[in-house]
Amino acid sequence: MINKPAPLRLLPVLLPAAFTLACLTVMLPRLLPALDLSFLQTFRTSFLGILLEALPFVLLGSLLSSLLHLFVTEEALDRWIPKHPVAGILTACVLGLVFPICECGMIPLIRRLIQKGMPVYIAIVFILSGPIINPVVYGATYMAFRLYPEMVYARMGLAFLVSASIGFMIYATWKSSPLKVTRSTLNSESAAETEMRNRPRGSKWTAVLVHTSDEFFDMGKYLLIGCLLTAGIQSFVAKESLTMIGNGPVSSYFFMMGFAFLLSLCSTSDAFVAQTFLTTFSSGSLLAFLVFGPMLDFKNTLMLLSVFKTKFVLYLAFLIFAVVFIGAVAVDAFYFT
Amino acid sequence: MKSEAVAAKRHYLLRAFILLGFALYISHLATSGKLQLYVAPEMQLWLRLSVIPLVLVAVTLVYHAFFAKENSVICECGMEHEVTGSAFKHTLAYALFLTPLLLGLVLPDRALDGAAATRKGMILGSPVLSREQLDGKFKAPDKYNEEFAELAKRLYIQELIEVKPEIFSEMIGAIELFKEDFRGKKIKLSGFVYQKKDAPNRSEFVLSRFLVQCCTADAYPFGVPVSSVAPLPSLRNDIWVEVEGTLQTGEHDGKEIITISAERVSEIPRPDSPYVFLNSNAVIEYLQRLDGPL
Repeated sequence: MINKPAPLRLLPVLLPAAFTLACLTVMLPRLLPALDLSFLQTFRTSFLGILLEALPFVLLGSLLSSLLHLFVTEEALDRWIPKHPVAGILTACVLGLVFPICECGMIPLIRRLIQKGMPVYIAIVFILSGPIINPVVYGATYMAFRLYPEMVYARMGLAFLVSASIGFMIYATWKSSPLKVTRSTLNSESAAETEMRNRPRGSKWTAVLVHTSDEFFDMGKYLLIGCLLTAGIQSFVAKESLTMIGNGPVSSYFFMMGFAFLLSLCSTSDAFVAQTFLTTFSSGSLLAFLVFGPMLDFKNTLMLLSVFKTKFVLYLAFLIFAVVFIGAVAVDAFYFT
Repeated sequence: MKSEAVAAKRHYLLRAFILLGFALYISHLATSGKLQLYVAPEMQLWLRLSVIPLVLVAVTLVYHAFFAKENSVICECGMEHEVTGSAFKHTLAYALFLTPLLLGLVLPDRALDGAAATRKGMILGSPVLSREQLDGKFKAPDKYNEEFAELAKRLYIQELIEVKPEIFSEMIGAIELFKEDFRGKKIKLSGFVYQKKDAPNRSEFVLSRFLVQCCTADAYPFGVPVSSVAPLPSLRNDIWVEVEGTLQTGEHDGKEIITISAERVSEIPRPDSPYVFLNSNAVIEYLQRLDGPL
């Protein structure tokens, strides 16, 4: 069975598929006008919009991760990372200033860093703070809230506090490796690396690009599912019916955080969506939206699940939710007055 | 070992095909100018640049599949290679990657329209300044206030205010900030017609635009209510019109907003760039251009 050549095995599927394709080609022009395509069009435009926007960053993340994998040794990385947890966490908080990549590009990079021996709590702090504490997001938020600069400072400040405190909590509570154990064992890596380093230069670059494609296809799956669902929510659910749900003082926080989770917007653009809610929701709940969304949303949860154990992702999600909620309420009470 | 190498080869070729597909689709969108239907101008550069690594990786994969030495086809480098795993899972994964390409090719490229506006919720007035601004707990920073005031000053002295698409939201914002002073001024602007489904009307509609920050997922619709003196028999959703009329103020949901009383409404073809983008430099450029001839 397995030894049969591929075309023969595919034949039973290929023929019906070709038949369907032929039928569709003939019928499509007549069928299309009859269908109401407005939903599909909105879906298509949103889907391709998110995907095209994220694509360069996922590609960049894969490329960086692949370069890191082949050119940076574990010992070198070990020397760069501060030993003391406080110093490590504070460094990770501002790392985003140097590497302004959004969350899609971040996750493949982080996986590689953890595999190379970066402590988990530092990696998590970077995942959480990176998408918010960086110059691009600061500029975008400032543009959107140009009349309310307090919101910009509150967003940056709260993001810093939330990621630092979650970093400490993970440092104190999670000792085992949160990475999914993959089929190929991690300890074979060093052997492969020495082999890679001994190769001639040309094949090393080939290896970088082949790795990039591995990472890209690995992460891309989750990105695509995330984009499909996000576009689905955006094009089939009316915003009005959503906003009706959360108008109470407390429910508005839950609503805005849930909304941020479902929308899965890029952190560089979510501020503009948030400010359309200024008239409907309290400033505190908008702040929760702005801080929670980049840290945890549909798209990146799927990507996190591909890298970390489910138990760890759930634990992290709970921490983010609780800390952001407390922080946003506190900021609303003491700062936005 | 032999069959594994064949399987790996097939995977590499399939991936190369998908990556090339993405690269071709992106360059097709870029050359036909349709890229701006999906992403904002600042993001387009990134997307154009990403064609290079896509092609590079695809070519490397093809090279790797055909010419790499047997032992390095499956490199044991601590990565979870897809080469193992069930065929069903692979088919599903690759189908997922082909979805955007198929969607992109089968259906025509269309800008967001009224149907999307209904779902996203139309905002009346400028999104940049659409609230009880400048009072209460928040205070406006002077810089932007000055910019809007400066813009408003220049607009005020114009005989006919022509709203430029590049700074559409800013101009509407400046007018809205000083709506009392602008009442009775002549204005000319273009956008698409948006009417609520339950209220078909021959003389009233919202002249709307989508504001896009990064990509179409964060686009949101905003517009100015227009009422025409003469009934408009050919008025329907999603057509593009140019409106010339007089600025008025009106009330909507307890909020004072600007409205336009139209003297002339004419249908125009859909512009190549239907969305408006936020661009702080554009305002400065516009002001400088106005200063030029003087």
